[in-house]
Amino acid sequence: MSRYWVLAEFAGPKALLTAARILRDEGLANVDLHSPHPIDGADEVLGLGASRVRWVGLVGGLVGAVTGYVTCWYTNAINFPIDVGGRPLNSAPAFIPVTFEAGVLFGAFALLFSMLAITGLPALYHPVFEAPGFERVSVDAYWLSFSIRSAEDRANEVAERVKAMGATRVSVVKDPRLEAMR
Amino acid sequence: MATEHAHAAAADPLAGVPVLLGNHTDETLTDTLFGHVWRKPGFGWYALFGLALAGFGLFVLAIAVTLYKGIGAWGNNIPVGWAFGIINFVWWIGIGHAGTLISAILLLFQQKWRTSINRFAEAMTIFAVIQALVFPVIHTGRPWYAAYFLFPYPSTNSIWPQFKSPLMWDVFAVSTYFTISLLFWFMGLIPDLASLRDRSKGKLQKIVYGILSLGWRGSGKHWHNWKVAYLIMAGISTPLVLSVHSVVSFDFAVALLPGWHATIFPPYFVAGAVFSGFAMVVTWIVPARRFLGLKDVITMRHLENMNKIILVTGLIVSYGYLMEHFIAWYSGNEYEWSVFVNRATGPYAGVYWLMITCNVVTPNLFWFKKIRTSIPAMWILSILVNIGMWCERFIIIVTSLHRGFVPSTWEMYYPTWVDFTLFAGTIGFFSTLFLLFMRFLPAVATAEVKEARHEMEIGHVHHHPGLMKAGLPEGHAAH
Repeated sequence: MSRYWVLAEFAGPKALLTAARILRDEGLANVDLHSPHPIDGADEVLGLGASRVRWVGLVGGLVGAVTGYVTCWYTNAINFPIDVGGRPLNSAPAFIPVTFEAGVLFGAFALLFSMLAITGLPALYHPVFEAPGFERVSVDAYWLSFSIRSAEDRANEVAERVKAMGATRVSVVKDPRLEAMR
Repeated sequence: MATEHAHAAAADPLAGVPVLLGNHTDETLTDTLFGHVWRKPGFGWYALFGLALAGFGLFVLAIAVTLYKGIGAWGNNIPVGWAFGIINFVWWIGIGHAGTLISAILLLFQQKWRTSINRFAEAMTIFAVIQALVFPVIHTGRPWYAAYFLFPYPSTNSIWPQFKSPLMWDVFAVSTYFTISLLFWFMGLIPDLASLRDRSKGKLQKIVYGILSLGWRGSGKHWHNWKVAYLIMAGISTPLVLSVHSVVSFDFAVALLPGWHATIFPPYFVAGAVFSGFAMVVTWIVPARRFLGLKDVITMRHLENMNKIILVTGLIVSYGYLMEHFIAWYSGNEYEWSVFVNRATGPYAGVYWLMITCNVVTPNLFWFKKIRTSIPAMWILSILVNIGMWCERFIIIVTSLHRGFVPSTWEMYYPTWVDFTLFAGTIGFFSTLFLLFMRFLPAVATAEVKEARHEMEIGHVHHHPGLMKAGLPEGHAAH
């Protein structure tokens, strides 16, 4: 038993979504699509709920804003009080710009890093890149991928069935990463 | 240009020139938009790059002289303690604003035409902000000590930055702005970097683009999270870009100085920033679309839209001038009013009237469709706008400072050769970065253009019949 990646190319986004829907209905959980641009309706077919990126971004932004304000307040009102023109030491209006900017800054980093963490990037190698023709995904090709743990014969069988769904080309790639780990 | 006009639909006046010309498939789009990355650059690119590098040489020279001799090498002195340093800082920062406006605000407004120009404008933002940052950093005299009073870290002086000062707000606003612009730009680039990786012929290209693209597989999960992150990034960049130039204007407006102390400053600065930024985009995109072969994607529609924004923001700036002058008179404050009289009739009146000409008078030529859609006219007008906006900052800063409340504080300001050299140097540095960008990265957000093309095909935008020349069948030729 090894892990095999089944990759199938389809003529366009519609055919791709139809095939993905059938496979998922059959109970295959790890179906993924590969396309040169976001496909309308892919999220629903893949069963992807609201991205968690937004929550991490919100938390990052709030942490940033609090950090910004507390920095101003602690440094200028507590640790080293600076009296500027008789204004209150803890002068909220004057601290708002830094609070806002820090919120945006932390929020943006949270967004980027959470996107990378959730998608598992950076990952410079992935078995799907082994499929001949897969490099067209970033140009104009629409591919479907999923992995199964089985014997090679079984993987080839599944691939044949995907081909019958109208795939223009199908590849089976053995995941070398698992082999290496053994 | 004739071919572009030929496509204009006569029936619907809103339709105009399409945002995408030619019968493109995803493959021909990729080839067209990446063409300038794979092509060996021609003589023109090398000539321009040589020129830009020479300009960069001036940049290095001026900074070396400034660091060696000190800030005394610049022309600013009391009472004009702020001059070229802050003029150029505000000018460059302002130019950057168009990039964020295009990439973030137009994305939120679902303006499909933005996808052809956002990458280009975002690159401009980053390179412009780099130039802007040079001035305040060098102006500290010994930049390697600047961190002591700019960043709140527990130093042995046990003293902290003064956070009630607009200058501190500025540090945070501009450094955040630069960081966010870079992250946003990079995020948008990832899918295109993957595309470059997959189209690379050479090993080095494959490795470099491969690493930069982080292993992007265009997977449904990737796009799903990428889209949300990208959209929220646009959402938070929108108030950010408005805050940055507002904070820059606080540098002046918070000071109790006639000519600076005005509540209209934040919106009027933001409008001026967008005004000059769009002008800079037009200045660069007009030659770039021709030499990079991007005319199918950056059409007359885009150029005309940008010229319309220049016209609108130009009118807002004109209104700002009008209000500023009106309030100076209406306030009944003779110091305030004398500053404005001095601007128009004093020793710097020439700069003032050049500003009025370039910012108030000539942009109105864009009311005429003929001029809005004429390549040479828009190119010249866009350059005039940036001359005008530079003059505006000169007028705001120098004329407000050079005559204080009593005549004993009256002094003229003259820039030195170092001032001019550093300014020219930043233009050289900016051009160098821009030319490198156009050499190694796609100038158009290709994945986004593809998405827009597919959406148009499916007919999501049927009510805008002018967006595309012709509907294309789904899918593509077998390969």
